[in-house]
Amino acid sequence: MDIGNPALRGLSNNTSWWSRNAGAFFLLAPLLIFLLIFYVVPFVHMIQESFRFSYIDTQTGDGLTLHQYIKTWSSSRIGRVMERTFRMSLLTVGITLLLSYPIALLLLKLKPRLRTIILLVIFISLASSLIVRNYGWVVVLADKGALNALILALGISDTPVRLMYSEIAIVIGLVHFSIPFMVLPIYGSLLRQPASLGEASQSLGGNAWQTFTKITLPLSLPGVFGGTVLTFALSMSAYVTPLMLGSPSSSMISQVAAEQLLTQLNFPFGAAIIVTLTVLTFIVVAAYATVLRRVFRADV
Amino acid sequence: MQMSNSSLPISIFERIVSLVAWLALFFLLFPVVLTAVVSLNASFFIEFPPKDFSFRWYWNIANIEAIGSATLISVSIALAAAVLCTALAIGASLAITRYQFPGKAFLTAFLLSPITMPMVAVGIALIQFFIMIGAAFTWYSLLIGHMVLVVAYPIRTLLASLTLMNPSLEEAALSLGATKFRSFWTVTLPQLKPGLISGFLFAFLISFDNYPISVFLVRGGLTTMPIEIFNYISQNFDPTPAAFSTLYVIVVTIIISLAERRYRIVSYSIQ
Repeated sequence: MDIGNPALRGLSNNTSWWSRNAGAFFLLAPLLIFLLIFYVVPFVHMIQESFRFSYIDTQTGDGLTLHQYIKTWSSSRIGRVMERTFRMSLLTVGITLLLSYPIALLLLKLKPRLRTIILLVIFISLASSLIVRNYGWVVVLADKGALNALILALGISDTPVRLMYSEIAIVIGLVHFSIPFMVLPIYGSLLRQPASLGEASQSLGGNAWQTFTKITLPLSLPGVFGGTVLTFALSMSAYVTPLMLGSPSSSMISQVAAEQLLTQLNFPFGAAIIVTLTVLTFIVVAAYATVLRRVFRADV
Repeated sequence: MQMSNSSLPISIFERIVSLVAWLALFFLLFPVVLTAVVSLNASFFIEFPPKDFSFRWYWNIANIEAIGSATLISVSIALAAAVLCTALAIGASLAITRYQFPGKAFLTAFLLSPITMPMVAVGIALIQFFIMIGAAFTWYSLLIGHMVLVVAYPIRTLLASLTLMNPSLEEAALSLGATKFRSFWTVTLPQLKPGLISGFLFAFLISFDNYPISVFLVRGGLTTMPIEIFNYISQNFDPTPAAFSTLYVIVVTIIISLAERRYRIVSYSIQ
């Protein structure tokens, strides 16, 4: 037999590759098969469905069509909701970052015992039900709620102020939900920085602000990236929070997609809306990563 | 009086940072504490300041529609999803940390991707799929939906513990004559405990709490606790959900504190 035969050489390479990686294959196979059947196939099927006509469309046909996407982009309601979702998500990421970075810096300075207690509070917050946490804001923001009691008592207004069912109420809920997701990666990236860098900066005459902007912040960019991306993705796809704290006039895009399915039973249109949201979120995140890499030379 | 030029900006910046940090922590706790206050108020509505003290809303939790059966379904789904996902995650994270193969970074990103996928997208994709194969609105389809939702969490915590682990202990066990299985069982697994516990815990709690995926996958008698609580909140204005919320937070606090005390899960979840 001719050993030089390229097909056979490929085969023998395969066998040695296989014997080196068989262990990894058997360890990964159960999970990969599970995700292939119940994650990849349903998503591919949903994307396919978004290119079909639905029962309420005047046109029909079995072929693929861009109809649902044209409908998504030309609907002024969906445009408004998409713009609102994007605006509220950016606002949420900004406020969450401004509140979470100081918590991460504080954790670094605290004594171990107090630090563990605060980390526990953040973990408990992360693990407490989203519905429970949103309900907490209903209690605070309701017409007869805590904040209005304070407003009336201080004489700021004579009648209760409508705080609930607004974009502001939703952003408050989203920020509250997002803080743990932002604090943990930033704190992690601060822990990885050698303390000697900060000390060197101080001993060379840098003040706290200079040390922060020249050393601490640039080195923590991977943590900031992780936290902001997660917060942005969670806010863009928020569903329960706008449902509980908002009104139809402040609805977010996941609600519109879910409504197409749950009340209109219009699978293709609902699928097209949610696919559009997923792709847009992905594009924004990719652009953001590129900017951090190119402009700030961050390792993200 | 003149302050020295260099100490002034230091103290101002650091004071502002500490002030904002404490305010943010206050913001995190504020609604939880107020909910507990409301839950003990006898009034039929959410009302401030509270007037009469009462435990009546805690007893009224039992009157939330289908709360018993819904809680049972939620517990069984969360438990099954957490056990199965943790088991699947052990194999996958061992493969990723112990073997070199092409496309590893892509594979890891794929395995962790359900965390950032819009939950409504997962719900929509799965219900279409289950209707197509004729398995919609069953306990098993709900379980599978929750497994897709939570499987990334034990992968993440196990990857963290495996990278932190000391491989020389395992090599020592093998060189002393232990079989591969025995060294895994007696040396590797105990070291993975914090990652296993925190991954299991997060898988359980995230499944137990889920609304956006469940809402697509349930119908009729198949219902979960978050769905019934949500329905109660949208139809009633009495403080029963406040009592429920307070109980929920107390239970979560006990579980997380015990897990931290025994297994130091907090320090293992931060890398």
